[in-house]
Amino acid sequence: MDLSPFETDNSVSCRLVSQIPDVCKIEDCCLGIDEAGRGPVLGPMVYGICFCPVSKKEELKGLKVADSKTLTEAERENLFQKLDEARNYVGWALQILSPNTISTSMLQRTKYNLNALSHDTAIGLVQYALDSGVQLKEVYVDTVGPAEKYEEKLSQRFPGIDVTVRPKADSLFPIVSAASICAKVARDRVVKGWNFTEDLGEVDTDYGSGYPNDPKTKAWLLKYLDPVFGYPQFVRFSWSTAQTLMDSKAVTVHWDDDDEDGEKAAHRQHNRSMLSYFSASAGGNDQNPNHQTHRFLTERRLKSLDTL
Amino acid sequence: MATKKKRTPNVQNDSWVVVAADSVIDTQKPDSDPTFVRLRNPVTDAASLYMLGGGDAQLYEVKAFEEDFHSWFVGQTVQRDGRLLFITPMDPLYLILPYLIKAGKEGKFQPVDQVVMDEEFPGCSRLLSCTRSLASLHHISEEKEVGSLKFHRYSQEKTMNWLQKKVERTVASLKKRNISVGEGVKSTTYVRVKSESDYSEEDYLRYAHGLISEYISEDLSKALLRHLQLPELTSPKETEPPSKKRKLSDKPVEAGEDYTKFNSADFARKPPKKMTAAQKTLAKVDKTGMKPMSSFFSPKVKAEKK
Repeated sequence: MDLSPFETDNSVSCRLVSQIPDVCKIEDCCLGIDEAGRGPVLGPMVYGICFCPVSKKEELKGLKVADSKTLTEAERENLFQKLDEARNYVGWALQILSPNTISTSMLQRTKYNLNALSHDTAIGLVQYALDSGVQLKEVYVDTVGPAEKYEEKLSQRFPGIDVTVRPKADSLFPIVSAASICAKVARDRVVKGWNFTEDLGEVDTDYGSGYPNDPKTKAWLLKYLDPVFGYPQFVRFSWSTAQTLMDSKAVTVHWDDDDEDGEKAAHRQHNRSMLSYFSASAGGNDQNPNHQTHRFLTERRLKSLDTL
Repeated sequence: MATKKKRTPNVQNDSWVVVAADSVIDTQKPDSDPTFVRLRNPVTDAASLYMLGGGDAQLYEVKAFEEDFHSWFVGQTVQRDGRLLFITPMDPLYLILPYLIKAGKEGKFQPVDQVVMDEEFPGCSRLLSCTRSLASLHHISEEKEVGSLKFHRYSQEKTMNWLQKKVERTVASLKKRNISVGEGVKSTTYVRVKSESDYSEEDYLRYAHGLISEYISEDLSKALLRHLQLPELTSPKETEPPSKKRKLSDKPVEAGEDYTKFNSADFARKPPKKMTAAQKTLAKVDKTGMKPMSSFFSPKVKAEKK
């Protein structure tokens, strides 16, 4: 697995693919989808697909691929090696969603939540397989959100393909297990060799599991919190763990789509209090209330100053 | 995230981000740095910030671009106010004018250095050092020379002609820069395929007059409007809203909405689906032995009538 395309720029989403086995372009194929790194506050989320001819399902079982969570890292590496050796009938493709991609998607003006991002990534990978000429007939997915809805969405998106969405699909279908191993191996390698684009000097890489409830991860987050910039791009800013820490320890930053209420916000939005209509004079700073600044200036947000 | 962010008031900065005319730093006299001065603003009659540069040779006005949610990254620092100061050349005559008008009420010819005096803003006398000031005083006043001394008296007529020229120049500038002067709101970034030549001359004149009025008193602004022969705009008369009375017709009256379904036997009011967090916690409270609120309003229990 060559991670260099992602490592050259780890701020974006990146696709890594294997060779498409010739047999997959002729025979009916099945495809499994799974992800790794959905929960952690650190590092990327990796989506993986694995596909092989339906006729080779048994051979895949023979490789004893199992749910990646039940395996040690060494076992996973080992199994990935085996999948790689079976490259004449097993193909895979990965989409690495960098933590930065996740942060910017979830925090952008029109919010793009993690489920939607997951669904779209999965769809993108299936479409990639189709575009590469893989004769897809069956697709197996571990669910994200309600299974029926997801199954319906995928079935509609890919008519003619038999879509099965199941919770725990990674332990039920070997092809999904294979996909989960590819994804997990890629994530482990990316996290281990993370290139920090920020100038942090010697980075302490002892950040534990990366999951929000891991005390090591929390300690690391606290250590690398910059009061102005927050975190390195390795951190998912959209995670509440990161946000809570930034809210309490970092400088407050206001964006114009923040929800604000209260008197000050109203004042900024130039809403006048009902009471102001009854008082004698608003008592504003303007000495000459009759004078209305010309729209040339107001349209350009220009105003005079009396002091610096 | 539902935390409320508190806005702290802007802390005074000791640095600013400034866009200035080249001439501000291009000082002929090396020992004279440009300085900020507070002078009387002819429009508001209160203090405004100006700048004098090149040993008081040139006057500049200071305008600030200010909008919410802006900050600067300056080198390795962050500046919280996203303010951008513009320092642009300004005709000092605008600031001298109010003093001359005030003195002109006495009707006497006076030396200008006696006229341009202000206890509140002592810096105003520096205006007279500007290269353009003394040379252009004749635009707004009549002059008399006695020996080496010059005396001035405000002239409304001259001032109007001077201001009219200003307006005309502004109109030319507005046209050259394709500034939207029409009544409708238009985006300045909107690129038009056809150049918009449908603005009338009056639109331009009014717009330019409005801009010039940013530098002169309200009285003068009104006088200038008359001088330009532009009728004063009156706010459009409030038209009466159209009466909402329905037209009578011979057709049978039908109900706008059908409420009968609420009367049917199988109609049952559905319980509210979601409760707020507060309601949920309230619902969990142990209510044994507590009377419902409604019991206080129901008729007395019959047990008492024995």
